[in-house]
Amino acid sequence: MTKNFFEVNNVDFNVGNKTKVKNVSFAIENQGDVICLLGPSGIGKTTILRTIAGLEKLKKGSIILNGKTLSSENINLEPEERNVSLAFQDNSLFPHYTIEKNISLGSERNKEKKEKKISLKEIVDLLDIFHILNKYPHEISAGEAQRASLARSLIMQPDLLLLDEPLSNVDQSFKEEIQVRLKKILNKLKITTIIVTHDSYEAFYLGSKCGIILNQELKQFDDPYKVYHLPNSIEVVNFLNRGILVPAKVTGKNTLENWDLGTIEGNFIKEYPEGANVQLLLQPEDLEHDDTSNLKLEVVDRKFRGTNFIYTLRAPSNTLIPVFVHSHHIHQHEVDEKFGIKRPIHIDHIVCF
Amino acid sequence: MRINFWYISSFVISLFVIIPILTVFSSFFDNTSNYYQVLKDTFLLEYIFNSLILLVSVLILTFIIGTGSAYLVSFFNFPFSNFFKWALILSFAVPPYIYAYSLTAFFENYGTAYTILKNLFGEGNYNQSIPKFDGLLGVVLSISFSLYAYVYILARASFLYQSQNIIDLGKNLGFTKFKAFYSIILPAARPAIVAGLSLVAMETLAEFGAVDFFSINTLTTGIYNSWIAFDDLAFANQLSFFLLLFIFALFILENLSRKNAKYHFNTKAGFKQKQKIQLSGKKAFLAFSFCFLVFFLSFLFPLSQMMYWTIKFPENLFDLKILDLLMNTLYLVILSSLLLIIFGLVSNYGNRVNKNKTLNILSTLSISGYAIPGVILAVAFITFIAWFDDSVIKNLGFVSIKKVFIGSIVGLVLVYFIRFYSLAYNGIKSGYEKINISVDESSYLLGYSKRKTFMNIHIPFLRNSLLFVGILVSLEIIRELPITLILRPFNFETFATTAYISASEDLLEAAAVPSLFLILIATFFIIVTSKYILRDNND
Repeated sequence: MTKNFFEVNNVDFNVGNKTKVKNVSFAIENQGDVICLLGPSGIGKTTILRTIAGLEKLKKGSIILNGKTLSSENINLEPEERNVSLAFQDNSLFPHYTIEKNISLGSERNKEKKEKKISLKEIVDLLDIFHILNKYPHEISAGEAQRASLARSLIMQPDLLLLDEPLSNVDQSFKEEIQVRLKKILNKLKITTIIVTHDSYEAFYLGSKCGIILNQELKQFDDPYKVYHLPNSIEVVNFLNRGILVPAKVTGKNTLENWDLGTIEGNFIKEYPEGANVQLLLQPEDLEHDDTSNLKLEVVDRKFRGTNFIYTLRAPSNTLIPVFVHSHHIHQHEVDEKFGIKRPIHIDHIVCF
Repeated sequence: MRINFWYISSFVISLFVIIPILTVFSSFFDNTSNYYQVLKDTFLLEYIFNSLILLVSVLILTFIIGTGSAYLVSFFNFPFSNFFKWALILSFAVPPYIYAYSLTAFFENYGTAYTILKNLFGEGNYNQSIPKFDGLLGVVLSISFSLYAYVYILARASFLYQSQNIIDLGKNLGFTKFKAFYSIILPAARPAIVAGLSLVAMETLAEFGAVDFFSINTLTTGIYNSWIAFDDLAFANQLSFFLLLFIFALFILENLSRKNAKYHFNTKAGFKQKQKIQLSGKKAFLAFSFCFLVFFLSFLFPLSQMMYWTIKFPENLFDLKILDLLMNTLYLVILSSLLLIIFGLVSNYGNRVNKNKTLNILSTLSISGYAIPGVILAVAFITFIAWFDDSVIKNLGFVSIKKVFIGSIVGLVLVYFIRFYSLAYNGIKSGYEKINISVDESSYLLGYSKRKTFMNIHIPFLRNSLLFVGILVSLEIIRELPITLILRPFNFETFATTAYISASEDLLEAAAVPSLFLILIATFFIIVTSKYILRDNND
């Protein structure tokens, strides 16, 4: 049996007497791994982090870090005894200290650590907060406060770092750069991290694994590729909002038939008996544009997304189907025009429910 | 839940403050002497009538003075408007009883007014034409000019945070200035004004010095008499209970009339700093005159009257052992404020970290001490100590503890503690409300224990709040009269008691010196804290 660095076993996460997420189990295998938890607002993601940090108590299950039980029905280590750091979504800086003092308070905890792995300067450069070091929390913007809070958590070099929507207030233009830097530093320092976010791109980029929390449950915990391409439930598909479900009939080992699109080939993820009626997950990149094709659907809408267009097409059964087309494609189709789909349709992983 | 040091401390502090308050309530069901019958047949109606008239008149007057002056300094620029902004709170330095002495001293036969007229126009029979502000009118004026600042401070704070947006909205709807004031500005400030008026109401019903000086029979003097003259503690307490009902009835009435209306503005989103309107000509003169008149009547008038007498009768200055009085006053002030701050802090933190219902209820009850007049608290404290001594201490075979608590500094400070606990507790609480709970959590996550969080994070942050609370409490203690009178050790005098004793012996000239010192010390404290009281720099 392999020993996981961090484990959550059958935990009900509560706020007071109200259960937010039930019977959650997941593990982080190695020290330094980063995982992300995704879910809509108010679902209980923050509650999970607060419980792991020791700020909320648990009544069922156990949380184990590096072989030591942090929380269980009988054990509840105080937050200050855990060496777990949580960077809050909202500003939680000490209002009467400068940003520099706020950050350096984080380093006090690990003074005794023999090998100092990161300095204040490094962290300040990394998060680009040099200009606010002498300011007080009320004098800086929400995005800067978030970066300062992140800096304080990072400098602690905790055994487990919990980040609650760490970049939600950071400007879009700067966000991607910070994501790259964050990933690099977490990797360098080997800080095991759980990031909570509602931004799936952020989760897919930063996390080696992603957990999807929906309807009070952890629906799927897998690597990002699988979460995206092989969602395990209709709820996950709907949450990620990356495709549609169309009715189809299984016609062979590698084929199925849709009334609008005809025959579709590919590899089934799960086996279905021939003749079974299923819901096929159709993602925008599954269909290819082909002006010469005789399968033509009507354009209902066209969205420009920089590198791509997303066309929404109406099938004869009135189903609306999204299709990606590279934005350098020569022909642009207007609304009400016909749009050709390449045949035969081939989907690498056929996901059905 | 885990019982920790903070829980126990908070619990014990709240319980201690509640005991005398409970004594008042429990004694409502006690048997009383026949004083009740005597009183019912004679003065009870008069007590109630006087208290009501007093209350209503003071509320109307303080509302007009407090709201009017707050409106002028918050919305308009006129000569000295910035000076009046803080000068108008100086009236706090003059307690109602000292105001009463000044009124009498000025308007009495052959008083200061007479002297002025004589000096201006020569000998004459002026006494008949000089109005006499004594009796009920005297009490109303004394209390109103001393306490209107409660309404002024809270109304001004509320006006200050009214957004320019709602004022612009009024203009957009075509409102006149008066209509905008009446239908937008005033209703929006209503909770603040009502809070100010509630404080005035409580203080008015609790007022002892001025009422006693003008020999007006109110419920408060009734309480004092039933205890002093008839030795009927239970009835004193019952009258107190009745008096408290007055206050609660007022609260309920206001709450009912308010229904579900919301008064709070989100000061972050869409808040636009107000632009003051520049007044000129007649309007500027009228605004200036109103504020100056209020400032003059509430502060300059009593101050100059007391100064005048101190200069006119300098022997009084040398008869009094000023240094002793000063040391006694400061001794009480420092000891009580320190205790209040330390225990107010601990109790607040206990509540914050434990989030426990029992504790919450206890602390809510514990802050009701401020609504209970000082006379009642002192009496209730004596009642409790006497009962505890007779039924517990003596039964256990110990030596009586009465001397330790009654007529001693210990007892005096403890009752101050109970009386002003709510002031300290709420003052510190409002400081605490500015610290987001995630700050505490961050501190724990940085490895700080609860004690270290308290010492290293909270106390430095609350520094200014603590200073403000300390001075506010000191101000109250300097002015406080009935508790000090009843519980002070033999031969232990403060400025307040010396002034009272001289005045009650009809030696108003002698009362001037301690009154003047009291006003000067209180003024100093107010000036030091004016920045915090006016909340200009706080958000």
